[in-house]
Amino acid sequence: MSRDRLPSPRSLRGSSMVRLRIGLLVITMVVSVFGARLFQLQGVDANSYAEMAEQAGLVKLALPAKRGEITDRAGAPLAESVQGTMIVADPTRTAAHAQQIAKVLSDKLDLDYFDLLTRLQKKHTRFQYIARRIPSTVATSVVQAIKDKGIKGLATRPDPLRDYPGKDVAANLIGFMGSDGDALAGLEMNFDKLLSGTDGSETYEVGGGNRIPLGENDLAKPRDGKNLQLTIDRDVQWYTQRVLRAAVQSSRADSGSAVVMDTRTGEVLSFADYPTFDANAAAKADKADLGSRGLSDVYEPGSVEKVLTVSSLLDQGKVTPRTRITVPKELPVMDRVIHDWFDHDKLRLTLTGVIARSSNIGTALAAMQATPEKMRSYLSKFGLGERTRVGMPGETRGLLPAADTWSKVKQATIAFGQGLSVNALQMTTAVNAVANDGVLVTPSLVKGSATTNAGHTVGTDTTTTHRVVSKKAAGQMARMMEMVPNPETGTAPGAQVPGYRVAGKTGTAQRVGEKCGCYDGTFTVSFAGFAPADNPRFTVYVVVQNPRNGGGGGSIGGPAFSKIMSYVLGKYAVPPTGTPHADLPIEW
Amino acid sequence: MSTLMSQARTRVPKFAEDAVARARLSVVPRGETTAARTPFVVMVAMLLVGGVVGLLMFNTSMQQASFTATSLQGKADALAARQQSLQMQLEQLRDPQRLASSAKELGMVAPTNPAFIRLSDGAVLGKPLAASPDDAMRINPLPAKKPDALNPKPLIVRVPATETTKTTRDTAASSTDRTATSDKKKQAVTTSRGGSR
Repeated sequence: MSRDRLPSPRSLRGSSMVRLRIGLLVITMVVSVFGARLFQLQGVDANSYAEMAEQAGLVKLALPAKRGEITDRAGAPLAESVQGTMIVADPTRTAAHAQQIAKVLSDKLDLDYFDLLTRLQKKHTRFQYIARRIPSTVATSVVQAIKDKGIKGLATRPDPLRDYPGKDVAANLIGFMGSDGDALAGLEMNFDKLLSGTDGSETYEVGGGNRIPLGENDLAKPRDGKNLQLTIDRDVQWYTQRVLRAAVQSSRADSGSAVVMDTRTGEVLSFADYPTFDANAAAKADKADLGSRGLSDVYEPGSVEKVLTVSSLLDQGKVTPRTRITVPKELPVMDRVIHDWFDHDKLRLTLTGVIARSSNIGTALAAMQATPEKMRSYLSKFGLGERTRVGMPGETRGLLPAADTWSKVKQATIAFGQGLSVNALQMTTAVNAVANDGVLVTPSLVKGSATTNAGHTVGTDTTTTHRVVSKKAAGQMARMMEMVPNPETGTAPGAQVPGYRVAGKTGTAQRVGEKCGCYDGTFTVSFAGFAPADNPRFTVYVVVQNPRNGGGGGSIGGPAFSKIMSYVLGKYAVPPTGTPHADLPIEW
Repeated sequence: MSTLMSQARTRVPKFAEDAVARARLSVVPRGETTAARTPFVVMVAMLLVGGVVGLLMFNTSMQQASFTATSLQGKADALAARQQSLQMQLEQLRDPQRLASSAKELGMVAPTNPAFIRLSDGAVLGKPLAASPDDAMRINPLPAKKPDALNPKPLIVRVPATETTKTTRDTAASSTDRTATSDKKKQAVTTSRGGSR
């Protein structure tokens, strides 16, 4: 074109052509480089670049669901989730000052310095967890201190923290959470699904620390966990734990359990174990103390069992409280000889006297009148050999031997509490059936109803009742048990509660040693009872393992029972009935 | 065709010639548009500028709102955390153990023999008795047992009885005497255990 219009000298025309061609060549080369790069970016590894682009300004955040509270029967928190705080870092901004930051953090929060350095300098990311589950006030003050030095890149975010305000109160039941947020024991573990809820998440783009308004934004709201209300009364639980601790420590015993049960509803107001642990610092505790011994350990109940034996005999009409029994010095049964815990010559005791003085021989003689099948079915109806299913993990079912294995000796020893084993809650439930006019109420630890991880629904809503012995037999038994705390007739004067009629029974059983599987000379001492005897409101059971001060159920369990019962009657405003004490003859 | 047309034209009466002349098709001259061009351009420009500025302002205000949201969220988080911390403190203050030890410091003990008033008729049920210091309960654990290495058994060295027998009145004097002698003879060395609360 230009050739036609602008005729110019050949040399000039030639050089312009060369320039144009060179230009074209350069442009072609540049464009091909661009094209190649474009192909590389979009064609070869598009995904990795897209990810990198996303990471550059995208914040992904887990929104932890708030864990449900565990409360006592009045709603006072036993375990609660507090808005703890996590500290997070943006390594692109903290890398330069990593050492300074790490020093402050490791000093104030007791974190590992070198671990912090790695996190603060991590490449290719803008988000790192620095510390989790710390009280918010501490976190904000530390982050502020670092900000004041002119260092940026640290931030705080909410992070629920599990707090147990009562420390060791009901820790044996509630369990605890590990530092990484896993439920590791007790109700926390067994109701984890219910309590934990569902975590949510949020993704958004940030620019200069602020959310970009029309940027990518993705929110899945967390679903908070449900609360779990227990039948436990925090104050009663605390008091029971202190009384139990005093009893165990002053008798130099290994361990102990104490249960307080509402007679009519079967609600467990208190379930204490000692030794126990501080749920806020479970890692420091002895591993053996982390569970509930009262549910997981079995032992032979000893003489408390006589209550069940005699009330079933009363129900069958085989005996009355005044049945006369001649108690020999010792009772040979097959190849064994049964002794009493106290030396005596031939005694003439009524059945009431057998209970009040806790005579093994007398109980065995009375029990001979019933068949093994009948006896076993009564004990089974009393709930022995069956888990109570209150929702606690690791509960034992105890051991109630099958009827066809009951020899004459076995029947005699089972009658006074040897040769079968129970846990503390089973025994409380069984004695409570006598207190509750002969009707067994299944115990519960959870108010309302709740479903365990395994899918069992437990709680007061699922309580069932069934009659074990007649109302008459239960009433007779209660009056006989009133003779036990009576200082003139019984074995446990220390179990009296001033002003009230108290029915109870002591138990001192030989313990089966773990090593030899035989009676090793140590004892389990216990006391079970209820008050007011003529209109029972509460059943209290105290059991102490291996006391070393030579005490028995009356001298160790009795006073602890009295203290707990007195407290719980006062707290729940149960007035004395004002009726005269039972007065049954114990000898003839 | 043209001949037909010309024949027809000739047949047209004279008075209609003007009309025919007007009806004849002819190229319309390009009409000059009278509307001014400037206002339209200005309007479009204004729309454009207004749109851009509006969008910019809208974006800015949203960004501003985002700043505010961030700072308010921060404030809300801080306040929520503070409320939670206070709640935690409150629960720690309501801890039965703390209450019990405060009560104990005030010299209080749990009542063991309370009486009850029946509100319906004002009757007093039970016989009230004042609580005594004997009713106090140990609310703290016994001090942990020291390992044997830290808690050696008292070393007892028997010394032959001295001839001096003094009355109880002179105990103070005699004890100093004994201390003096025991220093020489390295008498009984006892270690004290931690007192129980």
